[in-house]
Amino acid sequence: MGDMKASPASPQQPGPGRTQGGDQDPATLLARVARGDHAAFEAVYDQFAGPVYGLVRKVLRDPAQSEEVAQEVLLEVWRTAARFDPGRGSASSWMMTIAHRRAIDRVRSENAATAREQKLIPVAEAGDDVAELVEGKLDRQRVLHCLDSLSSLQAESVNLAYYGGYTYSQVAELLGVPLGTVKTRIRDGLIRLRDCMGVTW
Amino acid sequence: MSVRRHEAHLLTGSYALDALTETERAEFERHLARCPSCTEEVRGLRETAARLAMAAAVPPPPGMRARALAAAQSARQLGPPGRNPLAMAGQRTGWRRRPVSRAALTTVIVTLAAAVVFLLVAQLSTSRQLQQAQASSREITAVLAAPDARIESVPGTAGGMVTAVMSLRRHEAVVTADMPTLPGSRVYQLWVMTAAGSARSVGLLAGTRSGSAPPLLADGVLPGDRLGITVEPAGGTARPTTTPVVVMPVTA
Repeated sequence: MGDMKASPASPQQPGPGRTQGGDQDPATLLARVARGDHAAFEAVYDQFAGPVYGLVRKVLRDPAQSEEVAQEVLLEVWRTAARFDPGRGSASSWMMTIAHRRAIDRVRSENAATAREQKLIPVAEAGDDVAELVEGKLDRQRVLHCLDSLSSLQAESVNLAYYGGYTYSQVAELLGVPLGTVKTRIRDGLIRLRDCMGVTW
Repeated sequence: MSVRRHEAHLLTGSYALDALTETERAEFERHLARCPSCTEEVRGLRETAARLAMAAAVPPPPGMRARALAAAQSARQLGPPGRNPLAMAGQRTGWRRRPVSRAALTTVIVTLAAAVVFLLVAQLSTSRQLQQAQASSREITAVLAAPDARIESVPGTAGGMVTAVMSLRRHEAVVTADMPTLPGSRVYQLWVMTAAGSARSVGLLAGTRSGSAPPLLADGVLPGDRLGITVEPAGGTARPTTTPVVVMPVTA
């Protein structure tokens, strides 16, 4: 995500020692955060609070709960930045993994008591989820374009699993297809997205 | 064998999207550990998932920025991995792991939760302490109630028993110890020891009145870390100075 631009919404006063350019690289910022640099944490916030909050909200839906979980995620980023290992993945992937896991933890712990015995409720609007997000941003257009290249079963499976926070067996139940099929569609769909988006890792 | 392997490999996508149950996830992570090509594929698919996340960005609510920055101001950070001579200490211990039924876990959880509340409340004298105790007891309860909470017990090399309820999703463990009584000048100290060899103090477990100390909450606990208890001078030390009497590996 080296091409992600920092949000211009809340420009920061440059702190001491802050220079332009590569300083906004997320991995570099996280290394500074790990050393207790609050200015770097602000810069991380400005780049990633939108994606963190957006992703959590997509999974949880409820705005108040989403903010609470997004706050937990950002605090975890602050506290565990020293554990980020650039050799094992990108900074954005590291943060988004934390965000997604926290969100589904919340979903699954809430559902644990009640939903386990109940039938899953299909999410009728799930297929539209990505469309509603696409507002001119190049990254989003790219993602949408790539999602378009998937078969509908691949797209639905990826959508429900990631944005819906469902396990693949729940996805299978929602879509009424065998487990093995969903497993394969999720993997094939992601591989196709990866290649379409030119993700190199 | 090759069929199973092939089957497991198909889960890379679901794993990258966190779409596995806890059990499946743990099983798949064991598979990952010996499948470099799966690991490689998972990395690429995780990066792909991150793009999906970035595409979901929406402006956060007003006020969230100030709250997030303020929270960081008052939160201690976890240190980086470092070197520590005790890193290898745990690997020879013959502790046993036991799978525990949900019922047993519930019993422990209820007991621990009651102990937490009782002990914390019993030791309070000011409302500020009360607030802190409530916060601490909430955190401990959250670990105990985590969907992936699991319990492990390990006997000490010199007797006693340490029990931990761990939630790897929360990166936290609640640890209680029933250890042999120590002389007044010594205490038990709990550490999170990383695979890289650093040791971070979690806190002290009273060396006397064993069983009556509140549970300790260890955070920043990652797979590959170990929870260790050493005997230290009263007041504790910055680094372990003795060989741990208990070591409990944290496995994925």
